This record gives sequence, C-alpha cells and structure tokens, in this order.
Amino acid sequence: MTTFVIVLCLVLMVGFALSAAMLRSMLKSAVSLAAMSAALAVILYMMGAVWAALFELSVCVGLITVVFISAISLTTPDRRDEAHTKDHRQRFAALPFILIAAGVALIAVLVSTGFYLPQPGEEAVAEAAFNQVLWQTRQADILGQILILLAGAFAVVVLFKEGRKI
Amino acid sequence: MSAGLEFVLLVFMGLPLLIVLINNLLKREIAQKICLSLGLIAGIGQMVAAIVVFVSLNAAGQASVDFSQFWNLTAGASRFSVDFFSLLALFCIGMVVTAGFLTAGKTIGDKRFNFTNLAMIILLGMNGIALVTDLFSLYVFLEITGVASFVMIALNKEGNGIEGGFKYLVMSAIATAFILGGLAFIFMQSGSLLYSDVASALSDWQNVDQPALLIVAFALVLVGFSIKSGIMPFHGWLPDAYQSAPAAVSVILGGIVTKMAGVYAILRLTGDIFVGVNLVNQILMLLAIVSIVLGAVAAITQTDFKRILAYSSISQIGYILLGASCGSAIGLIGAMLHFFNHATFKTTLFVNSAAVETATGTTEIEKLGGLQEKMPVTGVSSILAFLSTAGIPPLAGFWSKLLIILAVWQTGNFFIAGLALFASIFTAAYFLRLQRCVFFGSAVEGLENTKEVTGGICLSSVVLSVITVGFGLLFPLVLLFVQSQGLI
Repeated sequence: MTTFVIVLCLVLMVGFALSAAMLRSMLKSAVSLAAMSAALAVILYMMGAVWAALFELSVCVGLITVVFISAISLTTPDRRDEAHTKDHRQRFAALPFILIAAGVALIAVLVSTGFYLPQPGEEAVAEAAFNQVLWQTRQADILGQILILLAGAFAVVVLFKEGRKI
Repeated sequence: MSAGLEFVLLVFMGLPLLIVLINNLLKREIAQKICLSLGLIAGIGQMVAAIVVFVSLNAAGQASVDFSQFWNLTAGASRFSVDFFSLLALFCIGMVVTAGFLTAGKTIGDKRFNFTNLAMIILLGMNGIALVTDLFSLYVFLEITGVASFVMIALNKEGNGIEGGFKYLVMSAIATAFILGGLAFIFMQSGSLLYSDVASALSDWQNVDQPALLIVAFALVLVGFSIKSGIMPFHGWLPDAYQSAPAAVSVILGGIVTKMAGVYAILRLTGDIFVGVNLVNQILMLLAIVSIVLGAVAAITQTDFKRILAYSSISQIGYILLGASCGSAIGLIGAMLHFFNHATFKTTLFVNSAAVETATGTTEIEKLGGLQEKMPVTGVSSILAFLSTAGIPPLAGFWSKLLIILAVWQTGNFFIAGLALFASIFTAAYFLRLQRCVFFGSAVEGLENTKEVTGGICLSSVVLSVITVGFGLLFPLVLLFVQSQGLI
C-alpha cells in the first residue's frame, strides 16, 4: 500500500511539474507547483522523513506559493493574443517526450550499472532528538531561517503595504 | 585566536542585522534620512573588517580561522570559518554594497527605507555563503539571498521589475530542487555535509561505494549553481532581471550577488570538495568555454546598456569557472583574482549605466550618443573598466585572465586556451560598440544639456577605477604574497 501511494505521488509530482512548466496561465502554473510540492511532502512523510515533509509543506506549498501568487496578482493581466498562446504551447510541446526519453535512458543506465541508493550515513540515522539536532548541529540554519522569515516579511511590506502602483 | 578577532568576525553577521533593527526601530522620517548612511557603514565596515582579519591572519601565519566564540561546538565542528578566499569574497561584497548605496542616493528615491532593509538581508545572505562550512547551510543562505533579491528587483512594483523578479524566483526554485537532490546524494555517500567531512569521504573518490552517484550529485549541484549564477545555457532569467531592476539594485545584483550565489559556491565545490576529480573538471571546463563564447557573442547583438553588461557578466563568469576547472593552484588563484576583478570592473560599469540612466532617462544605446564631453568621469571610467574586462595590460583584468589562460594551457587543452583568448576580441568588440554609441560622436538631439551625475555615483566610479588601475599596477606584490603563502 505504501509503495502504491509513493508511486502514485511520484506520477502526480511529474504531472504537476509538467503542467507548471507548460501552462500558459501563471496562476495555474503556481498552483501546479504547489500541488507538486504537496505530492513531494506526502512522499517524504511516507518514507519516514516527517520533519522534512512538514518543512516542504509549510515553506514550498505555503510561503513560496503565497509569494508567487502575490507577484502574479501584482502584474498586469495577460492580454497576449491567441498566436502567443499557440507559440507557447508549441515551444513546450516536446517537453513531455523529452522527459519520458530521459526517464527511460536513466532507468537503462541505472539497471545496466547495478546502481542503487546507499543507506544514509551515521549522522542521518543517529537517534538524536530532532530538537537536539536543530539546536546543537544546525545553529547556522536557524539563523538562516530567521533571516528568510525577515526577508518574507519585507517582501509583504514592499509588495502590499505601500499602495499598488500598477 | 584572540577573542578580539572573533569580535571583528562578528561584524560580518552582526552589523547588517543591527542595522536592520536600527532602521526599523527609528521613526520612519528619521530612518528615511539616515538609512543609506547606515548601509554605507555596513559596507565600509565590512571592507575594514575583512582587511583587519586578513592582516591578523597573515601576521599569525594562519591560513584560516574558525568562528567559534558565539556558537555551541558540541557537535565538534565550527559552522562558520574564514580563509583567504572567503576574506576576498567578503571584501568584494563590502565594496559592491558600498557602491550600491552610493548609487542609491540619487536613484532609489522614496524606496530607500525598504532598499536598505533588503540590501542588509542580501548582505547577510552573501556573508553566510562566504562563511559557512556546511553544504546545507550554504543552501540556506543561498535561499535568503534569492528571496531578498526577488523583492529588490521588484522594488519599484513596475510590470517589468515584477516579471524580472518573478523569473529570477522561478529559476531559483528550480535550481534549489537540483541542489537539494545533489546534496542528498552527497549526504548518502559521506554521512555528513560539512565541507571537511565530505572532502575526506571523497578523497579517494574512485574507491567509494558508487563513484557514479557522486558524479550525478556533482552534476545536479552544478546545474543548480549554474542556474543561480546565470551561466550559459542556464542564463535565461539573468538579462531580464538585470535590465528590469532599479539602478542601485542592478549594481549589487550584477556586481556580486550572482557571483556569490553561484560562482563562489562552485569554486568551493571544486577547490575544497571535489578536488582532483578529472571528470568534474572536464564538465566544468566545457560549461565555462560555452559561457565565455556564447555570452560574448550574445552581448554584441544587444541594444540596451544593462543587457550588454548582463551578457558580458555571463561571459566573464565563464573565465572564473575556466580557471577553477583546471584543477591546479594557478588556475584557482587566477579564478579568485578574476572574481575580484570582475566585481570591480562590472560594478564600475553598472554604476556608469546608473549615471547614464539618471542623466538621460534611458539605457537604450541607440537613443544615446556624444556623452563623453558631457559626462567625462563616467566616460573615462567606462573605458578603463571595459579595457580591464577585455584583458588589456596593465589593468587588473589582464593579469587574472593571463593566469587563467596559462593554467588552461598547462592542462594541455590548447584549443580551449586559444578560444578563451580569442573571446577577448569579442569582449573588446561589444564594449567598443557600447562606448562608441553612448559616449563618442556628437550629442544626439535632446541630450545637449546633459550633465555629469555628481555625488555618490561619481565617487563610486572614480574609486572603483582607481582600484582597477592600482590592482593592475601593483599585481607583482599580489603574486609575491601568493608565493609567500606557498600557494604557487
């Protein structure tokens, strides 16, 4: 059952990634990107990386999507004609086929070389509590997280607080 | 190491944060008046701190120092550290941020408060990139720089700016996915992401469990960093972002941000972690030469001052990577020096584009002409910067390019060395065209009353030009220092 859900989410992930790249509407693209991240969060959760899933869900699905949609809402409505839309579709028409070909080639290489993913190293499997790891070995990243939040707050101030110019 | 030196090191991470706090705690009217001065203090303070640490390290005969006073070391390793290369990067960051704030005085208008806040966050992000000793922390600080850069590009909330910033953010998100994927593979093989641990785990890389996995990891991380630094063929977002950003933001973005967010990280990877892996060097060399040649060719066809500089950056970044790809000390030193030189001359050119835009209201080169007499300081500093970019002796750019091409020659890749040399002709071609269209000839209609932009912009151009000429003339001293350190 777990394997089925993971494979399903992988398929969904690739599908949403493709639609994010190929859709003409930026809003739909941003939503597709969020859905792709949500599928990834489910995969991470099913594979036991609960905290990674939580961060993926909150940062990528939450914060980044909000920033994307905010940016889109601030741009002028897209009034390009039908020809542009057609051109856009033509430009990305080959993308799914390239992706499928790359996937097949990758699987062929992996099978022929007996490729496998090794187990995580000692630091990853150490049974240290999450908070212990966070406060004792990832201090620099905590400072980084604070700064990202600060940058996000300034983004909201810059993009929304002062009246819309467009 | 003395606690005093640790305190100086704290300037890199503490001072920008302090300025953000002061800026936001002050009354808005007061903050609007003094915020640019606060930013200047941060930039100049960083340059002074970098010089102090450099002199102290040199006097103590140390190559690097850990930043441990304020951090818990129970995990057994410092999370922040400086060596000569990171000090060079920190100095460049301080220099470009100072130039950015000097330029902002006449160009940023009522956005100065937000500009200062965001520039300080970017400064912190870049300092973090220079100081961290762990690949995941490197990724975290890359993200800080990326998010703050997006907002800076969109600062004026104009359609083009938001579109340029949006492209930057989307490409940054894609780069992130590649980098994280690569780091996961590296973590699986080495069990840690500390530079030193990964380097020792990979020291005998051909005998690791699966060398192919490491090559895949390197390829993923390289693609991610290449997107962030705008190397060909991952450059799609860069010209739009540079062109649409406000002038002062372009100075910081073009002068240092893309170099720190991509090139510096690649130099760390090749210099500290994937040392002596031939396949890695070959991949990098191929990417570098493509970037050098195509960037220069694309620059020739551009008609906007900032876009020419953007494509020129793509080409010059290729030279830095070319040096790093040689896998030799001389190549790496050439790359580091070109990193510094590029920060200097490209910042000069972006400051000059800001001067031209402020004086004439446009950066379209076809609408410009005959500005040499009207703007002599901008015109002369432009000539010096482009001669240095093209690698004309005795300016600074000549020496770093010479070292890089010598290093490539030593590897036996004569064709690539020749191609890199030949690409300098293209560099001279697009800059001559730029100089001719903007500064030479007679003044075009409507620009007869154009005047030199004085103040911070002019000061930046002059100081940066002095550095370009001075560094070129004093280069033998730099070589003597490098020799005394046993680096070559």
